[in-house]
Amino acid sequence: MRLIFTLLLTAWALLINAAHADTLPKRIVSLTWESTEDLLELGITPLAVADADDYKTWVVRPTLPDSVRSAGSRVEPNLELLAELKPDLILINPSLEGLRSKLERIASVQSFDNFRQDYNNYETARRNYLQLAEQFDRKAQAEQRLAAMDKRILELRQQLDLHFRGHPPKVTVIRFASPAVAYVYGDNSMPQYAMELLQLPPAYPLPATAWGITQKPISELGQINEGVVLHIEPFAQGEKLFSTRLWQVMPFVQNRHFAAVRSTWTYGGVFSVQYLAEALTEALLTIEP
Amino acid sequence: MHNSRTQAGLPSMSTLAIPRRSLRYPITFLLLVLLAMGHVQLGSTLSLSQQWAALVGPASDDFSILQFQDAALPRVVMALLVGAGLGLSGSILQQLTQNRLVSPMTIGSASGAWLGLVCATLLAPTFAAHHGEWAALLGAMGAVGLVLLIAGRAGIAGLPIVLAGMAMNLLLGALASGLVMLNDQYARNLFLWGAGDLAQMDWHWVTWLLPKLAIGLAVLAFASRPLTLLRLGSEGAQARGMSLWPVMLGLFVASLWLTSISITAVGLIGFIGLLTPNLARLLGARSAFDELLYSTLLGALLLLGTDALAVLASRWTINLVPSGAAAALIGAPALLWLSRRQLSGEDQRGLVLPGHADRRITRWGWALIISCVVCITWLTLCLAPGASGWKLEWPSALIWSFRWPRTLTAASAGIGLAIAGVILQRLLRNPLASPDILGLSAGATLALLIGAFLTGGAIQSASAPLAAFMGSMLVLVILLLFGRRHQYAPGMLALVGISLMALLDAALQFALAKGTADSFAIMGWLAGSTYRVSAQQAVWLCLGVLILGSISLFFHRGLTLASIGDGIALGRGLPLTRLRIVLLLLVSLLCALVTSVMGPVAFLGLLAPHIAAILGARKVLPQLLLAATLGSVLMLTADWIGRVIIYPLQMPVGVVASILCGTYFIILLVRQRCA
Repeated sequence: MRLIFTLLLTAWALLINAAHADTLPKRIVSLTWESTEDLLELGITPLAVADADDYKTWVVRPTLPDSVRSAGSRVEPNLELLAELKPDLILINPSLEGLRSKLERIASVQSFDNFRQDYNNYETARRNYLQLAEQFDRKAQAEQRLAAMDKRILELRQQLDLHFRGHPPKVTVIRFASPAVAYVYGDNSMPQYAMELLQLPPAYPLPATAWGITQKPISELGQINEGVVLHIEPFAQGEKLFSTRLWQVMPFVQNRHFAAVRSTWTYGGVFSVQYLAEALTEALLTIEP
Repeated sequence: MHNSRTQAGLPSMSTLAIPRRSLRYPITFLLLVLLAMGHVQLGSTLSLSQQWAALVGPASDDFSILQFQDAALPRVVMALLVGAGLGLSGSILQQLTQNRLVSPMTIGSASGAWLGLVCATLLAPTFAAHHGEWAALLGAMGAVGLVLLIAGRAGIAGLPIVLAGMAMNLLLGALASGLVMLNDQYARNLFLWGAGDLAQMDWHWVTWLLPKLAIGLAVLAFASRPLTLLRLGSEGAQARGMSLWPVMLGLFVASLWLTSISITAVGLIGFIGLLTPNLARLLGARSAFDELLYSTLLGALLLLGTDALAVLASRWTINLVPSGAAAALIGAPALLWLSRRQLSGEDQRGLVLPGHADRRITRWGWALIISCVVCITWLTLCLAPGASGWKLEWPSALIWSFRWPRTLTAASAGIGLAIAGVILQRLLRNPLASPDILGLSAGATLALLIGAFLTGGAIQSASAPLAAFMGSMLVLVILLLFGRRHQYAPGMLALVGISLMALLDAALQFALAKGTADSFAIMGWLAGSTYRVSAQQAVWLCLGVLILGSISLFFHRGLTLASIGDGIALGRGLPLTRLRIVLLLLVSLLCALVTSVMGPVAFLGLLAPHIAAILGARKVLPQLLLAATLGSVLMLTADWIGRVIIYPLQMPVGVVASILCGTYFIILLVRQRCA
């Protein structure tokens, strides 16, 4: 009797689960790169994503399968194409909020906050990922994935600790715009959060901005007296800059505290922080303590 | 503008000016030195005595000393060189053409050079990095060649060249944004450079620029005689045994060269070339040589001052303010102020466009046109690429609900701009008058941008139409105020347009130079997009345009009389001033309505009335109706092309329409000239 009851209960639970699984969205369109990343990290292949080709060039990780088609641009996704694809969930961010009423005619819409000046971009990204996972009933998997990331970052931190003998340097991450101007990643940028997790203090503190970047003439970087400067590749005109006298007497160049970081996307979702941390660590390990 | 110029070169005048001239140069030079010292002070942490020590002392590896030597100093020298080059380039052009409104910026050479560079950078990056100046020169020569061809020999000294240059600027601008949009991420770094920034890291660009500027010295040494002779008029010069064309051509190329190398070195910096020669004359430069030399000096002074302001502003806002943007912000109002007295109402010449066809549209002609319109409309609505290839079918209800607001908006905008164009062209008796040339669209756009900037909200918010209306009304008020004093001289009106467009450009480039994703949203909107238009907005726009359009139909008799001449209009008892004000109000309402819903669209308001005239609509009423029809069809076609050309991505309809109409317009003008 008891056995039958248990069996029945299990069957009931299975049925409910199956019914629930049916209501889970299957045909998903992601109109932001952050949620594209999050979906892929959850092991879900979207039907279409915005700017698929640019994603493959710029974000790179996690890899987007070739079967996923482009849904138009991130600023102006192609509504008519979306209507034809008949998705059952569309993921957007606040900059597409103005399109919500139109998108809701196609499928249900969910918005995730993204880059803003007034709050912690990393915390938001983490929350977004969990929220998304919950929706697909994959919370456990997501938490596992986040734990793996935390563990990986801890490893990286230990590697750095070992390399710098317990005294990690101050770090500034930049991207060159031209041989005379650079974008400096300041507060609220993903590289900054990666640095925070690696317990690397900033060498050139900058106020928070929405995207976390500020433009500066390169000569101003000379104010960074102690600390490491990392530049994110690619920079085609490197030769032009690196051969100048002024560049060579920059304190961080003189101390050999300058290194290149392999091309990594810096405006991504939560795991972009992990990929950034890996890339930054890789670059830092080339620097003599 | 001619009367004052013809006496200027006489020897007696320059002797009179000598006592002032002897003071003018030392004072300007002193200012230049002081400003240069001040600028270095801004850029370096060293004190004056330390700077002196760094200049004369032995080489050092100290960072702040090298920062002074290799960043602060070359920036100052760069500003001096580029400013001098642009000043000289402008002065040559103005003396050659005897036209005060001519400059690298106004006749399209700057934007031509810029487009040449952008193309080279996208197509052959390595070539562009090493020999970009040749691509720039090629672009500049192409653009100016076309402008000269359009303006014709007689037009060089007057307004036609400026108007043609303006049209060229609009077209090249649209082409450049189209290119950048096609190349999204890769083109990002172009923006900063496009905004004209002078920051330096070494003496590379100075040593690059210096030998190439030598041609300027040659001009200074040899150009004064031919330029002086030129003032006597080409016949006079030829009578004195000078073959004019080779010399003029040589000087023209020299001027373009100076512009091209400046742009290659630092990017777009407008207004210096236009303002400097005018200021030089205002301060008393009289003879040809005096004008050349003083413009060179003054150009250096002006750019140095502007750059100092840009450096100060960058400190104040944490983000970098490009020098080019600062130059435009200062230059646009300065141009208006400078030119307010110098324009007379006499120069009413514009460009001649084909349009006086001898035929009239028959009933069959109308039937043909209407059936074509219906066909094209049907095609644009039904033919589209889909998830599984091209399809020709009536769209499903859902797709239709996305498609019709866009199509309706595009068509209504076309109608509105075409009607505005007809009214303006008839009223001002100027074939080149159109909302974009007069700056009404730019005014509306600027107001929207400023509104978005101040409130921190989206550009297309609920208050957008109001802001746009205020913007274009403000431009209209300026036009009316200035216009009354100058009898609505086309030159004056075009100047307002030029200034506003340059301001808009500066604002745009400033926003773009920030390099964030927001920049692309702004750029997309400024390209004139129907994407975000809601069904409600589309209906309102359509209703508004139809109502304003019907009102304008009531004025067709007045417009007919006004387009013949003031005398006739007044003679028939027409209240001309009131008519003008009412009609201009109507036009600015139309512009504001269209701009607030879908952003700026260039050329359409210019072109639709002309095509209507070419097809034979000679009277005001048929021209209004036909132009409106054509305008809407053109926009429908542009919207369709924008939707399909880079599917699933989309090109904003404004850019497509501007490129389509602009190209056709330029071809039309060139053909007219060659015929």
